[in-house]
Parts: sequence; C-alpha cells; structure tokens
Amino acid sequence: MPPRALTLSGRILMCCVLALVLFPIFWLFMTAIKPPTDWNASPAIWVPAEPTLVNFKTLFDPDAIREYGVGGVSQSAGDAVFGSLLASTVSTFISVALGTFSAIGLSRYSRGGRLTPLVILSGRMFPPAAIAVPFVIIFSLLGLIDTYAGLIAVYIAVTLPFSTWMLKSFVDDLPREIEEAAMLDGMSRLKAHLTVTIPLIKGGLFATTMLVFILNWSEFMFALVLSYSTINTIPVQLAKYVTATAGTLYGVQAALAVLAMLPLVLGGFFIQGHLARGMTFGAIKQ
Amino acid sequence: MTTTAANSGSGVPVLEARELSKRYGRKTALDNVSFSIPGESFVALLGPAGAGKTTTLRLLAGLERESGGDVLMDGSSVAGLEPKERDIAMIFDNLALYPHKTGFQNMAGPLLERRLPREEIKERVDAVAEKLRIAHILGRLPKTMSGGERQRIALGRALVRSPRVFLLDEPLSSLDAPLRFKLRSELKRLQREEKHTFLMATPDFSEALAVADTVLLLRAGKIVQESSPEDLYACPVDCEAALFVGSPQISLLRAVVREERIHCAGMSSPLPASLESAAQRLRQSGEDGFLLGVRPERVRPLLSPSSAPDGKAPDASSSSVGEVVDIESQGLRSIVTVCRDKEQIGMFCSAAQRAEIRIGQSLAFTLEDWEGLPAFDRITRKNIVRQGAGQG
Repeated sequence: MPPRALTLSGRILMCCVLALVLFPIFWLFMTAIKPPTDWNASPAIWVPAEPTLVNFKTLFDPDAIREYGVGGVSQSAGDAVFGSLLASTVSTFISVALGTFSAIGLSRYSRGGRLTPLVILSGRMFPPAAIAVPFVIIFSLLGLIDTYAGLIAVYIAVTLPFSTWMLKSFVDDLPREIEEAAMLDGMSRLKAHLTVTIPLIKGGLFATTMLVFILNWSEFMFALVLSYSTINTIPVQLAKYVTATAGTLYGVQAALAVLAMLPLVLGGFFIQGHLARGMTFGAIKQ
Repeated sequence: MTTTAANSGSGVPVLEARELSKRYGRKTALDNVSFSIPGESFVALLGPAGAGKTTTLRLLAGLERESGGDVLMDGSSVAGLEPKERDIAMIFDNLALYPHKTGFQNMAGPLLERRLPREEIKERVDAVAEKLRIAHILGRLPKTMSGGERQRIALGRALVRSPRVFLLDEPLSSLDAPLRFKLRSELKRLQREEKHTFLMATPDFSEALAVADTVLLLRAGKIVQESSPEDLYACPVDCEAALFVGSPQISLLRAVVREERIHCAGMSSPLPASLESAAQRLRQSGEDGFLLGVRPERVRPLLSPSSAPDGKAPDASSSSVGEVVDIESQGLRSIVTVCRDKEQIGMFCSAAQRAEIRIGQSLAFTLEDWEGLPAFDRITRKNIVRQGAGQG
C-alpha cells in the first residue's frame, strides 16, 4: 500500500501524540546533563544553562559529584552495566533458542497434546511477586542466590513461555509444506527445520529477541531479591541512587537511564529492516 | 484390484496402498484404502474437498504416519521410513517453493541434498528448465514469478531427480482456465514421453478424465470406484458418482420395466440389451422401478420439423414434452433444462435451436439411444447394471 499523505488535522494530531511520547525522553536527556542545582529547581529549568557531563562521570566515579556538595552512593554503576549486559544477553539468547525449538515442536508435532501451549502460557499468569519468595528459598538452598547463573536461570524461566508463544505464532504462519518439500528433497526433519524453518522466521526471531531482551533488561524485582553484593543490574542500581542522606540523585539516575536506552535504541535500529512481514511471499499460491 | 494400465514389466506395482487408514482423534480421514499404481501409469485420485486426497498423498510420501495398513514400494513395505528415504517427489497444492531462493536453487534443492557435483547439477537443472521452458526465470525469486512459472518451477524441482513416483496434489487448481488446460496437456505429454509414474489428486472430474489412465474415485475416506476414465463416465458405481462426474450433471429419472419395455419420463422403448439382466434381477426381487441415468448428450430437443436435422418425426412413444426452466449458453451450444413431472432433464441444443426456445414454453424431446444407460437402485442408489457385471 503506498503511503498516504496526511491531512492537516492528521498532522496536528500526530504532532500532539509525538510531543506526549517524546517529552519524557527529552526531559530525561536534559536532566542527565543538568548540574545538581538544576535537578529540581523551581520554576523548572528546561534546558540547562551550563550543561555538564558530571552525572555520567559519577556513574563510574561515585565521588565526582561531591564537588557539588551531594553524594552518598559509593558503588560504581559499572558492575550494574556489566551485570545487566551479561544476564540479559545470555538469558535472552537461551530463552529464544529454547523457545524456537519448543515453538516448532508445538506447532509442527503437537508435542504434549493440545493443552500444552496453554499450560506453558499459564506460567506467565503468576504475578512475579507471588513466585519471588519461593524462588528466593529454593535458590538459597541451591546456592544460586547472588549469582549470575541464578539470575539467568530465573530470566530464562520467566521469559521462555513468552518466547515460545510468540515464536509459535510465526511458525504457525509458515506453511508446513515448505519444510515438507525440503524433507522430500532429501533433508532430515532437523535439517529442514534448521535450514528452512529458522531462516524463514528470521523476522520473528529478531522481534522476539528484542522483546525478550527488553523484558530482561528492565526486570527489577527478581534482580533485587536475588542480589546482595556480588551481582547487580541497572534497574537495581537506579534504585540505589535514592539515598537517605542526599535525597534522589535525579541527574545521575537520568544519566544511567540514558545509557540503559542505548542498546535498546541500537537494537531497534538494527532489527527494523528484518521486521518486515511477507518473507514467504511467492512460496505458495495466491 | 488390478489396473489395466501398462506395467513396467515386472508386474509388481511401483506404489501400493494396503488397507491404509488414517484417523485424527475420533475423525477418520481415510478408511481402509487399497490401490496400486503400476509403473509408467498416470493415476488420478478424484474426489470432492475433504474426501481424503491430500491425506492419502501425505501418507504415501511419509509426511504422516498411517493409523493402519501399509505402503509398499516395488513390493516392499516403506512404513516408518522418512520422506527422504522413499524415492517419491510430491508437488503440493500450494507449491511450497523456498521463498528465499531463486528458481535455480529451488530446482537444484534435491540434487544438492544428494551431493551431486556442481556441473552435473547445473546440467540437469538446465535440461529440465529447457523442457519446461523456464530457463529464463531460473535467476529470479518466486515472488517475482507468475502463477504458471511457479507451477513449472515446482514441477521442475520434482523432475530433476526422476523419482520412482510423482505425487501431485491439485497441481493446477489455482491457475486460470487457459493455462490449466495447457499445463494439463503438458503434464500428460511429459508423463508419457519420459515414462514417469504419476498419481495426481484433483477435485475436477474433467481434469481426471483428461489425463489419467486409471481414476480412483475417493469419497469420505473410501475408494468407491477404480476404473478407466471412460468406464467412470459411462458406468458410475452409484448415483453420487454419476452426479459428481460430468457437466452438465446427469439426470436421474424414475423408470419402470413393463412387458419388456422400459418407460421413463413419458417415453418408452423396447428394453435395451444392456439392461436385460438388471431388469431380470429386479423382477426377481419384486421391484420394477429404478433410476435411469441420462446424460444431456443422449437427449435431443424436438423443435419444428424444419429444425430437426434428419427431418424424421419420432413416434409418440419415444418422445415426451416438458416445460423449459433454464437455458444456459455455452457459446456454440446451449444447455436446456426442462421439467417434466417434477423431474429435470438436461439436453444440448444448437445456437439455431436456442433462438427458438423460451423459458416457460413446452418443449418436446426424445431419448435417441437407450443402450448402455446406467441404472441405479432407488433405495441403495447403487448401479444395478454394473453390479451384474461382477464389480470388483
């Protein structure tokens, strides 16, 4: 369908929606470069007169902010960035990889009967708070508290139903005859899935990977209850910038939030081209 | 259960289904189906949607496991073998090309899996592409091809490897009529010239009659008739088969036999030889009525004497009159449907005759040749002529 020119009222409406969506992000970026005196000035300072990078510096050198007479958090955010990258990346890849195979199994071979997909989905129906305490107890018995292995295991467990369901819809959309034609060409079932099914659901794989990564990247509660001193993630670190002595370090929080946005924005740009539907156009009639 | 088509010499059918069944949960898709496909034959699996055609092909190809029965290739069982271990090519009703690969790569697929040398692959693909006249589209992706071109690529992909059997699942169903006729005759020529073995599923009786040596009529998961195309048309096994094959549809008319004469739709005739034994059996069972299958080409409209080609006026007992209820033009000729005593009778008329016929008028017609008409039991709806002939 060719893009349609917007009417004037459509343009105005679009601008209003964009302003609503973009304003918090604009405010975040501005706060990240504000010196502490401007953080919660009244009336509000929209654009700082003297932009500074001290908030970013403080993330990795907690004492940098002391020249402004504030402070109180001594832990560098470096651990958190590392922890988030490690836990989110590893768990996302494992979750999507396992999800791909369970999706193919459910979609193509109805493994476990018709109710299995629902049973899997029901895992997502528990509010995290309901299962957090059992997780803590079991993990402490297993010695997995305060370890990345433990956090990654939780993230896989929590996101696997999601990636399975999402990928199943993409596999369902792919005509099974394309794989079967490959099997008749001489491929084994596994090879047909690896060389035909998976390349053809590439768009779905990218989209699922992105969404699962976002889920893991912004996960707060499990990271909080499962971490003591060894492991740390960005959402947990963000909460640490609220201190009893200095109040909330808005600028530092904003700086970390800006950093946290980076991989998501880059990822979004990267997968944009792969999200197009119609990958299988031409494979079948119509 | 033998087929009359040419055999590949050994006498052992290339492909055989023995009491093949498939159930999905409580639903039976295929019920004890047995047939054999002799080498170098073109067999059509004819049936309406949902009859089990695709299920049959999928079981033969090994894409699904049978619930019962066996599949034999060259006399030995292939049950439990993966699709790749059976030397069978299948063309799916939706073609199922690799959307991300070019025409050449699609056709080369089976050869690449067999690890043939690159030059040989190119040689064989080019040769088949030449035969199918698709050499110019080999570098293109399926999405840039027309329906007919995709169809040929799918066919080519099967042809490059010369398998023992080709299974074709409604291969022409989505093409428009002229292309369908063209590809249909190409398929037939290809099969004959290259001595391939084809099993083609189709819901279209005219397609089945046009190309096949043997037609298997499938209905509700059962094979109800296995015969030559001519036999299927002339001597259908029951009323449903008669109505399914032939367009315009056959008319099933009430008929009785009295004093060695057959009476039907207001006409009568001496009992034709083809119906004698059936009439005798009816008499023995105390019945005298049955349904007579009359195809439109057997009926001739009687207009003013000038328009009757032979000019001879038929006697009263061999003609009848009905009210014209429908006229459908087919160009050169038209199909006229008349209604007489709540029975509808179809017949053909020429364009000149068509000009004289109006809906609602009464029209005289005659049944010229009563010999060889199929007859059916009123209750069981089975062909009573065929039964007498010792149906297998």
